[in-house]
Amino acid sequence: MTEKERKGLDRVREIYQDRAHRAKELKAEGKQVMGYLCLYPVLEMLTAVDLAPYRILGDMEEPITKADACLPTVVCPFIRSALDLGLKGKYDFLDGVVMAHICDVGEKTSHIWRTYLNPSYFYFIDTPHTVHKAAQQQLKEQLKDFKKTLESFTGRELSLDKLKQAIKTYNRQRALVRELYDLRKPDPPLISGAETLQVMVALMSIPVDEGIDLLRQVISEVKEGKNGPPKKPARLLVWGSIIDNTALIRMIEELEANVVIDDTCVGSRAYFPNVELTDDPLDGLVYRYLVGLKCPRTFRESVFGETKKDYIKDLESRFGYIKDYAKEWNVNGVILQSVRYCDIHGYEVPGLRDYLDHIGLPNIYLEHDYSEAALAPLRTRAQAFLEVIG
Amino acid sequence: MTKVVIMGRDEKICARIVGPTGAEHRRLANKVMEEALEQANLSFNEISCVIATGYGRINVPFADRQITELTCHARGVVSLFPKVRIAIDIGGQDAKGLKISNGKLIDFVMNDRCAAGTGRFLEVIAAALGLKLEELGEISLKSTNRVKISSTCTVFAQQEVIQRISEGIPLEDIVAGLHDAIASRVAKMVKRLKIEPDVVFTGGVAKNAGVVHALKENIGGEILVPDEPLLTGAIGAAILGKELTLKAVAKGETIQRKERRLEEATFFNRGN
Repeated sequence: MTEKERKGLDRVREIYQDRAHRAKELKAEGKQVMGYLCLYPVLEMLTAVDLAPYRILGDMEEPITKADACLPTVVCPFIRSALDLGLKGKYDFLDGVVMAHICDVGEKTSHIWRTYLNPSYFYFIDTPHTVHKAAQQQLKEQLKDFKKTLESFTGRELSLDKLKQAIKTYNRQRALVRELYDLRKPDPPLISGAETLQVMVALMSIPVDEGIDLLRQVISEVKEGKNGPPKKPARLLVWGSIIDNTALIRMIEELEANVVIDDTCVGSRAYFPNVELTDDPLDGLVYRYLVGLKCPRTFRESVFGETKKDYIKDLESRFGYIKDYAKEWNVNGVILQSVRYCDIHGYEVPGLRDYLDHIGLPNIYLEHDYSEAALAPLRTRAQAFLEVIG
Repeated sequence: MTKVVIMGRDEKICARIVGPTGAEHRRLANKVMEEALEQANLSFNEISCVIATGYGRINVPFADRQITELTCHARGVVSLFPKVRIAIDIGGQDAKGLKISNGKLIDFVMNDRCAAGTGRFLEVIAAALGLKLEELGEISLKSTNRVKISSTCTVFAQQEVIQRISEGIPLEDIVAGLHDAIASRVAKMVKRLKIEPDVVFTGGVAKNAGVVHALKENIGGEILVPDEPLLTGAIGAAILGKELTLKAVAKGETIQRKERRLEEATFFNRGN
C-alpha cells in the first residue's frame, strides 16, 4: 500500500510515526511551513495567508543532550525537549516560527530559540495572562501587528474574507474532533485514549483541510466499532500538562481502565473552544484564544475582585467545565498529571483536587519526567488508584 | 527483600519467608514458593489463591492476581491494627503513606524522587560508617546532641556524614541525625494525608528503634509497630487472596484464570 492510499487510523499511525513527513512534502511542493509552540499562536491567521501551521512538540524517546547548554535543567522537560530537537536541526524544515508568552519557560525559550536557531521569520505574541477587557484589547493590538508581519513575510494580503474562511474551516475541524470525542461516551468507548491522542498529534502535523478529511475517515472507521477497547471498570478523565506521546495513556489503559476524556493540550483543550464569527474576526479570535482556551497559564476569577472571597464559587468558575466533562463522559476517576517542574499545572493541583473532592470525584496526582523509561513507578500509583476506586 | 506468607482460611500463618531478592531471585519466584510450601508442609495444588504484590509482582507467573503493595499493605495493617488511620511504610526502595478509613485504603502518597528517605539510604550510610544496619537503632538512642543532616540526597548525605566524622562528632549523634533526616522527610510527605491516630509504622526500617523514635517526634504522636514489620504486605496479600477465593466460591466461580504452573518466569529467559 502506498502512503497516499492509507486512510483513517492507518494514516494516523503513519503520521504519528513520522510527524514531519507531510510537512516536508508540502515544502517540496513550494508551500511554506510555519512552526508554532503551544496553543496560543493564532492558527487561523497563518492559514489565511496560505502558510501550513506545524505544531512544535518534544520527543520523549530522544535524550536531551543539547538543550542543557542553554536552559537550566530544572525547567519544563517538554520545552527542553522541544528546544533540544530544534538545536539538533530536526525543525530545520520550518520556514519560520510563531511563539507566545505561554508560561515563563515558554517565553524565555522563545527568545533562546530565536537567538540560537535564527529562523527567517519569528514572531512572539506577548499573550496577556488575564482575561479582562483591557487584556483582550491588548492582545487584539498585537494580532494586528502579527498580521502585518505575516503579510510582509509572505508578500500576500491577509484579507478579512480569507480570515473568516479560515475561522469557518477550523471550527469545522473542531466540530469533527468533538464528534470523535462523542464516540468515547459509550461503554466501552469506541476508540481508546491512546489512539485518540495519536489522532490529535496527527492533526497538529498536517494542514487543517487535510485534517478534516482525515477526521471524517477516522470517525466513520471508529463508528464501525470493530477494534474498540474492551469494557473496563474505570472510565477516567486525564487532566494536566502536555502529553504528546502515547506511553503514559497506554500504560494506564493496560490496567483496568479506559481513558475516555482528557483536559490536556494535545486533546480537548486544543479543539473544544470554537471561534465566534464576529464582525471584526479579530474580536472572535481574541476571545477564543484568551478567554476560551482553558490553560492554567491564564488567571481567571469568577467575578472581578471576587477571587478567594468564596473559595467554592471560585473553584466552580475555574473547574466547572471538568465536572461537565465528567458527567457527559460518565467518568468515575480523574488522573491529574504533570511533567515535573511545570509550575502552572503544579500550582493548579491543590485547588483542583479540593474541587474534585468537593464534587465527590476520586482523583490522584502523578508527576513524571517526560521520559518513557521513568513511567514504571507511575504504574504502581495508577494501579493502586484503580484498586482504591474499584 | 522477597517475602512469602502462606495463610489458612482461619488467617493463621503456616509459612513465612523473608530473604534478599537480588537480580537472579527475581526470575526464581518459584524457588521461594517451593521453600514456603515445604515450610508449610503443603503441595502447590493445595493453595487456592496466589497473590503477587510489590515491584516484582509482574515476575510471578503462577500468581492468580497482581495487586499493588499499597492495597496489600493497607489490608495487612488493618488486620493487625483494626483502628489504624495512617500507615507509614519505609522499605528498601521507597516510602509510602496510606490513609485508611473503615478498614479500606482511601488515599496514599509515595516518595517519587530518590533513595533518601528509604531503607537504602540507611544501608549506604551504615556501610560508610562501618556499622551493621541492625546496629544503627541502638547506637542512635545513646545520642545526647543530635547533629542536623541537612541533605536530602543519599550521596551528598554520605559526604556530609564523612565531614562530621572528621570533625570528631560522636557516632551516635551522627546516626541520630540521619534517622531524623529520614523521619522528617517521610513525615512531611505523609502529612499531606492529614495524620490521625492510630498511626502504624511498617517496612524494614520500622525495625530500627532510632527511626521509630524520630518519626514519633516528627509527627508528634504515638506510633504502633507490628512484631514483624516486613511481613505486613505479604500478610495483606494473603488475606486479600482468601477474601477473593471465598467470594468466588460463594458465587460458584473459580479464582484461577489460567492453568497455574510452578515454574520460572519466562519473561527474562532468552530465546523463547
